[in-house]
Amino acid sequence: MSLNFLLIDDDEIERLKFARVLQKNNYPHKIIEAKNGEEALDILAQKEQQPDLIFLDLNMPKMNGLEFLKELKSNTDLRYIPVIILSTSNNHQDLKEAYKTGAAGYIVKPLKYEDYIHKIKCLIEYWSVNELFKV
Amino acid sequence: MSNVDIEIFKRALQREKIARKQAEKILEDKSKELYLLTQELKKTNQKLEDLVGKKESTLQGVFDNLVDAYVLIDVSGNVLEMNHAAKKLFGYDITKEKLNVIKLVYKEDYQYAIQSFQQLVTKGSFSGYKSRVYTKNNGVRNVHINASLIKNKKGKPIGAQGIITDITEKLEQTRIFEEQKQQLSTIVDNSSLGIALTQSGKIVQTNKALQNLLEYPQEELLQKEIKDISLKNEYAVSENHMEKMNAGLIDNFSINKQYVKKNNSTFWAKTNVAAVRNPDGSIKYQVALIEDITEQLESEKQKEKLLEDLERTNQDLKDYAHIVSHDLKSPLRSIYALVNWIKEDYSSAFDKIGLNHLAMIEKTLEKMETLINDILSYSSVNNKEELQSSKIDLNTLVDDLKNIVLIPENTIVSTKKKLPVINGDSTRIQQLFQNLIGNAVIYMDKENGVVEIDYEDKKTHYQFSIKDNGIGIKKEYHEKIFKMFESVGDNENSSGIGLAIVKKIVTLYEGDIWLDSTPGIGTTFYFTLKK
Repeated sequence: MSLNFLLIDDDEIERLKFARVLQKNNYPHKIIEAKNGEEALDILAQKEQQPDLIFLDLNMPKMNGLEFLKELKSNTDLRYIPVIILSTSNNHQDLKEAYKTGAAGYIVKPLKYEDYIHKIKCLIEYWSVNELFKV
Repeated sequence: MSNVDIEIFKRALQREKIARKQAEKILEDKSKELYLLTQELKKTNQKLEDLVGKKESTLQGVFDNLVDAYVLIDVSGNVLEMNHAAKKLFGYDITKEKLNVIKLVYKEDYQYAIQSFQQLVTKGSFSGYKSRVYTKNNGVRNVHINASLIKNKKGKPIGAQGIITDITEKLEQTRIFEEQKQQLSTIVDNSSLGIALTQSGKIVQTNKALQNLLEYPQEELLQKEIKDISLKNEYAVSENHMEKMNAGLIDNFSINKQYVKKNNSTFWAKTNVAAVRNPDGSIKYQVALIEDITEQLESEKQKEKLLEDLERTNQDLKDYAHIVSHDLKSPLRSIYALVNWIKEDYSSAFDKIGLNHLAMIEKTLEKMETLINDILSYSSVNNKEELQSSKIDLNTLVDDLKNIVLIPENTIVSTKKKLPVINGDSTRIQQLFQNLIGNAVIYMDKENGVVEIDYEDKKTHYQFSIKDNGIGIKKEYHEKIFKMFESVGDNENSSGIGLAIVKKIVTLYEGDIWLDSTPGIGTTFYFTLKK
C-alpha cells in the first residue's frame, strides 16, 4: 500500500535525508514537502488528496511545529491525520507539549546517519501496518 | 436656892438633856451618814482604780503591740521606755543595759538631729523627721520620727516621746521603682521605634522617636487622636482591630499602615499595638510601637525587582542555551548525513587517507554533539523549584548505571556497603553519579581497575565517596576541575563540563564536593547531599 506523507522541515538536508531513506529502501510512498507550518497549511487547504501521515519538525521559522500542530488539531477535517514529531530536542517540556497537543509519535533525530536510517525505517514500517482513519 | 429656882433649874437641865440627846442623835445620824458615804466613796474609788488599771493595761497592750517603735526618753536623752517594735528595730533591751538616743544618731545626720531636738524643746514637738540611725549590731536603718515633749504640771519638760517608723524598705522600693522607671524611660526615649500610649484612641504619651517621625512636638501630639495622624481610608482597618481588642478577642495586633506627618506627607510604618488591661479586663491603655518601614519597603521592592530580573535573565539564558544547542545540533546532523552520502556514493573515489579523513569528520561531529548535550544539561540544572522529588534507591541507581556507563572488563565498580534510599530528583542524582563513576572509569590506567562507592550518614547530610585507583589528579587542579570547560584530562570525549554539572547538582542539594588524590595512585571524590 502506498501512503502519502507530508514532511514539514525547514532544513533542506533533512528533507533530502528523509527522501533518501524512502528511495534507498524502495518504499512506494509519496512525499509532499513543506518548509514551515504556514506552507503546510496552504498545501492542506488546497489539496484534494490529504496526506495519510505528517512528519513535523519543531524548530522552524514563521510557524513552528507546535503552532502548526495546534492549528491542525483544531481543524475538524484534518485533526485525524497522525502527526509524528521529528526533532533534535529531547527536552521534557517539548515532549510533553507535543503529546498534549495531540502528536501521535515523537522521534529524536540521532546524530549518526545510520541510526537515523534505522529509526525512519522502523517508523514507516510501523505506520504501514496501521489502520488509518479517513474523514 | 428657892424651889422655884430649883424647878427652873431642873427644867433647864431637862431641856438641856433633851437638847444634848437630840444633838447626839443628830451627830449619830450624821456620823452614820458619813460612814455610809465613806463606804460608798471607797467602793467608787475601788471601781475607779479598777477602771484605771484596766485602761492602763489596755494602753500597755496597745503600746506593746504598736507596729511602729515607741520610745520614751528623759530630758537627757536616756531611754526610759521602749515597746517591742522599738526593741526589735534598735536591737537594745533597756532592762539589761542603759541607752541614750545620742548613740543611735547616724554620724552624718548629727547636725540635723540636734536641730530637730532644738525644735522639740522650743515648740514642743516635731514631725516628719527623716534620717538614718544605728542599730545595736551596727546596722543602719532609715527612719521617720514624730516626737513630742512631755511636761509636768508646772509646765516643766520632764521627757519626750517619739513614734519611729522604719522606712528603709519603703525607701529601697522607691529607689528600685525610680531606677526602673529611669531605665524604662531611657529605653523608651532612646528607642528608634516610635512609641505612643493611647487611651481609647487619644494619644496620652509619646517618645522622642515618634515625635521625630511625625515631626510634631510632644504638646501637639497630646492634643491629637490616632485618627488625626492616620489616613482616612486606612483607619477603618485599625479601628476594626481596636474593636476586637476592646471586646477582648485579641491582645495585640500588627499592621502596616501610613501615618500623616505635620507637613501632611505620609510614611509607611509597621505598627504593633498591645493592650494594657485593668483587672476587670477593660482596656487601660494601648501601647503602639511604630516602625518606619519606608526604606524597608523600598528595598523590598528593589529586591523583588532584582529577583524578577534575575528570574527573567535565568529563563532567557535557559531558553537561549536550549535554542542554541538545537540550532547547533541540526547542522551537525546534516554534515553527518552528507559525509555518509559521500562515503556511500563516492567511496571508490577516495583512497585510504581520504576515507580516514571522512571518519575523522564523523569523530569530530560526535565530540561536538557531546559538548552541546553537556552544555544543555548544565544549563537545565538550574533552580531548586524545578527539581522533582522522589525516593531513589541508590543501589538500584548504581546497578542501572553499570549498564549505562561503558565499563571495561578489567574494571570493577562496587559499593562498599548497602547505599541509602534518598529523596531527590532522579535525573539529577543519576547525572551526578553517572558523571563521577564515568570519570573514574574513563581515567583508569591500571590493569585491574577498582571503583568503590561508599557513604556515611552525617545527620543532616549524606556524605558519599567514589574512590578509584586511576591516574589521579594533581593538587593544583583540584579546584579547577569543577569549573566550566576546565577538563584536565586528555580524553577526547571529555567536554570539561561533567564535573561542573556535578558541582552544580551538589550545590542544589546544599552539599559540598571535594577530593583526595595522589597522581598515579588514585582519586577519591567526596560529596554531601542534604537529606
